[in-house]
Amino acid sequence: MFIGLVIVAFSLLDFALLRLLLVFLSFYYGLKKRKIYYQNPIVSGLLSGVQAGFMLRLPFLRSIPQVTRAVTLGGRTVVTGAPEKVEVFIDGQPVLVDPGTTVLQAAAMVGVEIPRFCYHERLSVAGNCRMCLVEVEKSAKPVAACAMPVMKGWRIKTNSELTRKAREGVMEFLLVNHPLDCPICDQGGECDLQDQSMTFGSDRSRFTDITFSGKRAVEDKNVGPLIKTIMTRCIHCTRCIRFASEVAGVDDLGTTGRGGDMQVGTYVEKMFLSELSGNVIDLCPVGALTSKPYAFMARPWETRKTDSIDVMDAVGSNIFVTHRTGEVLRVLPRTHEEINEEWLSDKSRFACDGLKRQRLVSPMVRDSNGKLVMVEWEDALVAVARALQSAKGDELAAIVGGFADAEALVVLKDMLNILGSESLCTEEIFPMDGAGTDLRSNYLLNSTIAGVEEADVVLLIGTNTRFEAPLFNARLRKAWINNDLRVASVGPKVDLTYETENLGDSVQVLKDLAEGRHAFSKVLNGAKRPVIVVGSGALQREDGAAIFQLTQRIAQNARVASNVGHDWRVLNVLHRVASQVAALDLGYKAGIEAIRAKPPKVLFLLGADEGAISREDLPKDCFVIYQGHHGDHGAAMADAVLPGAAYTEKSATYVNMEGRAQQTFTAITAPGLAREDWKILRALGEVVGVKLPYDTLTQVRARLTEVSPNLTRYGDVEAANYFAQAVELSKLIKAQPSSAPLDVRQKTLEDFYMTDSISRASPTMAKCVQAVKKQRQSKY
Amino acid sequence: MAKYITGALDKLKVTFDILKQNGGIRGSLYQLFRTDELKNGTVVGTDKYGNTYYENNRYFVVFLDYDGSQVPAEWYGWLHYKTDLPPTVKPSVKYKWMVDHTENKSGTSEAYMPFSTTKSKIQAWDPNARKE
Ligand code: SF4
Ligand code: FES
Repeated sequence: MFIGLVIVAFSLLDFALLRLLLVFLSFYYGLKKRKIYYQNPIVSGLLSGVQAGFMLRLPFLRSIPQVTRAVTLGGRTVVTGAPEKVEVFIDGQPVLVDPGTTVLQAAAMVGVEIPRFCYHERLSVAGNCRMCLVEVEKSAKPVAACAMPVMKGWRIKTNSELTRKAREGVMEFLLVNHPLDCPICDQGGECDLQDQSMTFGSDRSRFTDITFSGKRAVEDKNVGPLIKTIMTRCIHCTRCIRFASEVAGVDDLGTTGRGGDMQVGTYVEKMFLSELSGNVIDLCPVGALTSKPYAFMARPWETRKTDSIDVMDAVGSNIFVTHRTGEVLRVLPRTHEEINEEWLSDKSRFACDGLKRQRLVSPMVRDSNGKLVMVEWEDALVAVARALQSAKGDELAAIVGGFADAEALVVLKDMLNILGSESLCTEEIFPMDGAGTDLRSNYLLNSTIAGVEEADVVLLIGTNTRFEAPLFNARLRKAWINNDLRVASVGPKVDLTYETENLGDSVQVLKDLAEGRHAFSKVLNGAKRPVIVVGSGALQREDGAAIFQLTQRIAQNARVASNVGHDWRVLNVLHRVASQVAALDLGYKAGIEAIRAKPPKVLFLLGADEGAISREDLPKDCFVIYQGHHGDHGAAMADAVLPGAAYTEKSATYVNMEGRAQQTFTAITAPGLAREDWKILRALGEVVGVKLPYDTLTQVRARLTEVSPNLTRYGDVEAANYFAQAVELSKLIKAQPSSAPLDVRQKTLEDFYMTDSISRASPTMAKCVQAVKKQRQSKY
Repeated sequence: MAKYITGALDKLKVTFDILKQNGGIRGSLYQLFRTDELKNGTVVGTDKYGNTYYENNRYFVVFLDYDGSQVPAEWYGWLHYKTDLPPTVKPSVKYKWMVDHTENKSGTSEAYMPFSTTKSKIQAWDPNARKE
């Protein structure tokens, strides 16, 4: 109460000049001064205001020495030094912690959770909500636990009379200016303010001034089609601002005004232009930022949550699928430290409404007029089986798309192999020359996603990681902030949200790098832990093999020069689609070259929707079968359509780009007559007369294990390490690089949203594209 | 004593009345089988289905078909004590927009089937809708 009053009193005075002074002092005197500020709760509160005002420009902070930065980023990045542990007592319980640990972290170690609003483990410390006040014995005032490093012998009381009074006071102050609109608030039921006022707030109100007409109200901001803002509910924790500038790397959010007039927003009306913007919805502890597509849809206690894996990119983010009455309502991130931490990209989060549109709900067969008509399963299976039987083994071929799961892949492969066909391809191209896909290390992101945090030099070749794998890019950015990572790119100039040296987009640069003639070669050779990432987009070209060979040589040179051990992997491939690694693991050929060269009589498309092959590439009488969940390119050109299940509707295995097998779980049932993909294929096998030796999911998985054991070791990264051999083999590659410059498909934000059959069907994603285009025309 | 005898005689008379009204022993047994009860009363009228409406202490109906939904609107009011004047005494108003009463057709091929007015959760792909 007292502390709160002091803060209010301070903020009412004009501190503009003092703030500026503080900023300069803090920058110039570095560590010492800064530490002092953090120890003084009032000043630290002010300082955080300053930081928010300056929008936590981390790139700016990069210019000041490393040690200072370590403190800036709070307790998470502890200053290195002799780790002599200090002993503190939390509610009388002794605990040994590293120096620099904050009170809040020390309390967490003994399982005492201190209430907080502004503190977040993955963001810098702001210390401005004061909810975490605790009593420290012999200290005159309660201290803010999230910002205060512990001192030797401190006795911290997290449940004393003073602590409870302080919390009640803070809660009262927050609620005085908070609209009590929980009944119509989308955050209701998952709101930190609601929960904490129940637990720590006062049990009665002292707010008698109900006729007071000056209750604070703030205009809502329009920040795009994904985030709904009700800014009156904002409690100024600045989490969203810190997320935007630290993790997303977009300085779009900030504060204007001070004291009671402080507002969080975008300064001018503009869209929050980030591919990670949806995460501020989760971060916001109150209902100020909520999901626009999900507005007024459901209460959290009415919904069910099913663990699943995201398939919109090859990262394999862990997600919760929230659903009610057979309808997917929203997708939320599930924490996985080694993949997505607790973030999720906007496409993964918001494209789920695409699962309700353009769905295939019934089998279809083309009739004599050339029109697709809905038929029963029996008729469709018989028609397809007849086509399959009419062709000889080597006249059959299959192409699999980006959403195919490992179970369906293995069943399809077994069936066609028994029928005598070997041409099973993936839609994404990968060079098959040299070692090709025989050595697993050739096509994985070998360093692993979390592993790049340890790298010191990263070279990106022909990839825009920001849109091809947003969460991988977030990792790179994290390493860039915390580790002084140096990033260079070969390819078009794109904004990756952090400093990148662009080495140009011509293939010549790669040649120079491979031969050690390029200026950057020195940096690469001097690196202690180099990482080379080649985008699978760059390998789609005619000369993909040559580019891959050059990349392998660069990686091998860097490996030798840096002298890293064998457990550090340099070469990485960044895939764009979720099914690719599993397909290659199972022995699918990458790319449809073979099919183009020898057009089949019967073509089976398993979710191949990117238009890699069209009717013109095929002979007139070719019978095309499409199996998948969306009506898109594939279904439009098919003679028979078999409706499959989307990733939320089946228990399926996906392998992410690191080679980590993960499984989705069935959240809802597939619509209409659609069925799980492997079951359709199994039934088809029965009609064709191919005896497939499995009837249950367990048996299919046993078969997966037989083919490639890593596919069912869920959660583990199955590492591969045959780089030297791969380089040897790659010497056999004859292909010459062409002179065309390296390009990426997704260059700016509007290219990011609609890339596959689900996101193309999603109205929300379409709105995003529109909004970004409109934003580009605005003068801000 | 006399009280008991007259009481018993009254009961007997009522019993005979009921039996008589329901068509003798055979008719009464048939009625009992059909409607599970035997009552007597003054006939008030019949409706278009041929159901007969009676009045003793209460108003009641003996159905031809034993189907509760076969009470036409005009008789409904009287039967449920909304009015004491049966349509035979005060015919109900007829407008030309009134449709004729029908019984409940549930379970038959003419059953009432409302169509759903909610949007379907899944929008199916229409192969013949040309895009662009
Ligand atoms: S909008 Fe939400 S996350 Fe942002 S400052 Fe306000 S309360 Fe915090
Ligand atoms: S001040 Fe510590 S959590 Fe906000």
